[in-house]
Amino acid sequence: MKPIPIIVDCDPGIDDTIALLTAFVSPELDIRGITPVCGNQPLERTVRNALQVCELGNRTDVPVYAGCFRPMLREPIYGQFHGKSGLGNTMLPEPKKTAETLSAVDFLIEALSNAAETGEKITLCCLGPMTNLAVALRMNPQIAEGVERIVMMGGAYREAGNRTMTSEFNVLADPHAAHVVFSSGIPIVALALDATHQVMLKPEHVAEFARVSGRISETLAELMAFWDRNDVRRYGSRGGPLHDPLVMAYILAPHLFETQKARVFVEYESELCMGQTIADWYGKSGLEPNADIVTKVDAEGVIAFFLARLSRYAEEVVA
Amino acid sequence: MRHKVIIDADPGVDDAAAIFMALASPELDVLGLSIVAGNVALRDTVANACKLVGLSGRRDVPVHAGAAGPLVREQVYGKYARIGAFDDNLVRPGDVTVSEEHAVHFIVRSAREAVRSGETITICAIGPLTNVALALIQHPDVARGIGQIVSMGGAFEALGHRTPWAEFNIYADPDAAEIVYRSGVPIVVMPLDMTFQALFTPEHFDRFRAGGAAGEALYNLFTTFDRSDVKRFGRPGGPIHDATTIAWLIRPQLFTSRKAFVGVQVTGFTKGYTYADFYQKMDREPNATVVTDVDEAGFIALLIERIARHGP
Repeated sequence: MKPIPIIVDCDPGIDDTIALLTAFVSPELDIRGITPVCGNQPLERTVRNALQVCELGNRTDVPVYAGCFRPMLREPIYGQFHGKSGLGNTMLPEPKKTAETLSAVDFLIEALSNAAETGEKITLCCLGPMTNLAVALRMNPQIAEGVERIVMMGGAYREAGNRTMTSEFNVLADPHAAHVVFSSGIPIVALALDATHQVMLKPEHVAEFARVSGRISETLAELMAFWDRNDVRRYGSRGGPLHDPLVMAYILAPHLFETQKARVFVEYESELCMGQTIADWYGKSGLEPNADIVTKVDAEGVIAFFLARLSRYAEEVVA
Repeated sequence: MRHKVIIDADPGVDDAAAIFMALASPELDVLGLSIVAGNVALRDTVANACKLVGLSGRRDVPVHAGAAGPLVREQVYGKYARIGAFDDNLVRPGDVTVSEEHAVHFIVRSAREAVRSGETITICAIGPLTNVALALIQHPDVARGIGQIVSMGGAFEALGHRTPWAEFNIYADPDAAEIVYRSGVPIVVMPLDMTFQALFTPEHFDRFRAGGAAGEALYNLFTTFDRSDVKRFGRPGGPIHDATTIAWLIRPQLFTSRKAFVGVQVTGFTKGYTYADFYQKMDREPNATVVTDVDEAGFIALLIERIARHGP
């Protein structure tokens, strides 16, 4: 089978890193580029982290394109659970790899325009605020034709927010961009907190990942250990929700997920509810669904999936 | 000093006056036009811009197509949207074609080159600010390379003209305007309060005809789409809003201005409303020079004189 062409739009970030490390050892995926954006960390950091993670994964062949340095309208807010560097306490070597001269926005426009022409459409994995894609869409609306679908991590529907009472970080960080993307007509699979909170990466899982993941085990275990929210009241257990990696799991093992179609709206006007995502579960808006929202995840299956993938670093079946 | 200028426009009738004025002014080095949807759809603003450049004989000035719609809000067109593409009988077609480079890319590239050369550029923004905002989001160097943005837009005591509370360019993309106002780039705001002070009458339009093919086209446009509004202005005649930006660059002594913190309402029913903190109620450093008054006779004479330079 021909590998699925993807672009990973992200803001690494610990959970972005786990997602990337998984994609790197998945021959079903043809990673055309990584487009870091201002999000969990300022742009300079997310670019640097992306470069370091490519080197960690032995995938320096994957080009990295620096994205937008700020959200469309709002001031940047940055993540709270990724430590100062964005990678917890983990210190990776100074990267030798550098970002491409082409910007992320220009790369998206170029790659998606080509895809629209050739018909070989690209799947966009959106793991951060969606500023890059929104700007590209506003510059060249016709690039939507080059997108197979967007599989994105972000939002919170029946679940409460994680950054504010109503809102999940990626959407809150650039609600205008999320609005642009959800209004674009591109098919979207939404992995919101409703899904990601079902998959807790618990301390006992971390020990297993450390055991199986070969040459990256020390780094991976350190990153994963830092991810522990230690908030049993909210999550029902120790550990941290496996947000961004679920995007890769959804693409590679969709049978582990259940979805429901709905029209999604993004609040970008109210300060109180800024970044809230609202799903029209019962057809009240009179508008067609624009997203498949993941409602149920086989958590054990997903953990087993990631263990199997990341154990490939022990087999040295890399690139 | 010769200003390096990008004209970001949505032609549009009064854009035509501004563009012809700029292209006949040796004080300006016009790097190119970046075109945006606004008064009419992008397809038409681009076609109109190409015609204008053709008539001016300035084939060295590239026309770049930009954003087809606003950043966030639903699209609205100008009051004179029915104009669409300029009728060939009013504005003669030429053979200027649009550049392959996207307008936003053109702004980003020009600004970043300006950072390297140390000679900043001026953006004369006479349409909705979508292109400029999209450029500013992409790289911090874009703001560093732009010395000033002279923006025709907004209304304070004058209230609106597209809605009771908003001037068209800001109303058409309030979010873009807010991005521009907050960008840190010095902003010069040319609001309706000032543009309403200089009214052009049919005698003035007649004098445009001295300006060759360009002047003839301008005469045709203004006599066909008359903006006179005696009820509003108290006397005959209509404003040519966009041309004030060019006049401000080449003859600032025609204008009076004050510094203020300026912002835009981006939410709710009254989105597009602009405010200027003239009395320092907000405790914010001014981000803009608000041009409050124009020497009407001086501005009219200057525009007529520059249009005449397109003549034989």
